[in-house]
Amino acid sequence: MSKPHISNNIRKLRFLNEELTQQQLAEKVGVTRQTIIAMEQGKYSPSLELSFRIALVFGVPLEEVFSYEAEAEKTNEA
Amino acid sequence: MSFQQKNIAVSLVNFTLILGFFLFSVIQMTQSDSFTSANIFRLWGITIGLAIVVTIIGTILTHIVSAIIEAIRTGNDDPKIEDFEDERDQLIDLKGTRVTYTVSSIGVFLSMLTFVFDQPPLVMFTLLIFFGLVAQIVSDISRLVIYRRGF
Repeated sequence: MSKPHISNNIRKLRFLNEELTQQQLAEKVGVTRQTIIAMEQGKYSPSLELSFRIALVFGVPLEEVFSYEAEAEKTNEA
Repeated sequence: MSFQQKNIAVSLVNFTLILGFFLFSVIQMTQSDSFTSANIFRLWGITIGLAIVVTIIGTILTHIVSAIIEAIRTGNDDPKIEDFEDERDQLIDLKGTRVTYTVSSIGVFLSMLTFVFDQPPLVMFTLLIFFGLVAQIVSDISRLVIYRRGF
């Protein structure tokens, strides 16, 4: 297991939700803006609790925010 | 640069200066033939005391300076500083602590090796605090690198 293959739609969802800024989202979910930036860039995978909080802010199910790329793992294993 | 990064940068500068002071004192002692247990333990006390005081003052100063900069930048009299630690900060802290333990462990091992080479216990004690300071510096650098990378 090398890098996590968890991608997210946070950036897209922010714009669809009245162009919510990174700072506003960070305040709503209780993290720093730097953490939101790291997540959007795919450098940091949040905890399950934080993932649920983000999904709650956008009012969508978890799988609409985050997706696990199992295919990428399979390709690496082959 | 986030508040946490500024805090680490200040800690890095502080501990580098303390290490410089420690090395300077030890070199001075060896040159003036005053490398005695009394002097070394006094230096231990001064170094540890300095580390504690400088860390506290550094954190307070970082808070004040960050607030002033934020107030100037936003024009707000009551600026908001993100000085809390979220889950990513805590994980980065844990990674830093792991680096500190690794470097400290290697340092303790190397310090003990001085007995193999028939060195007096004073050398071991000097090396212990030296590696303690180096561990803190390496940990600060590693945490800064992780912050710059994103995670």
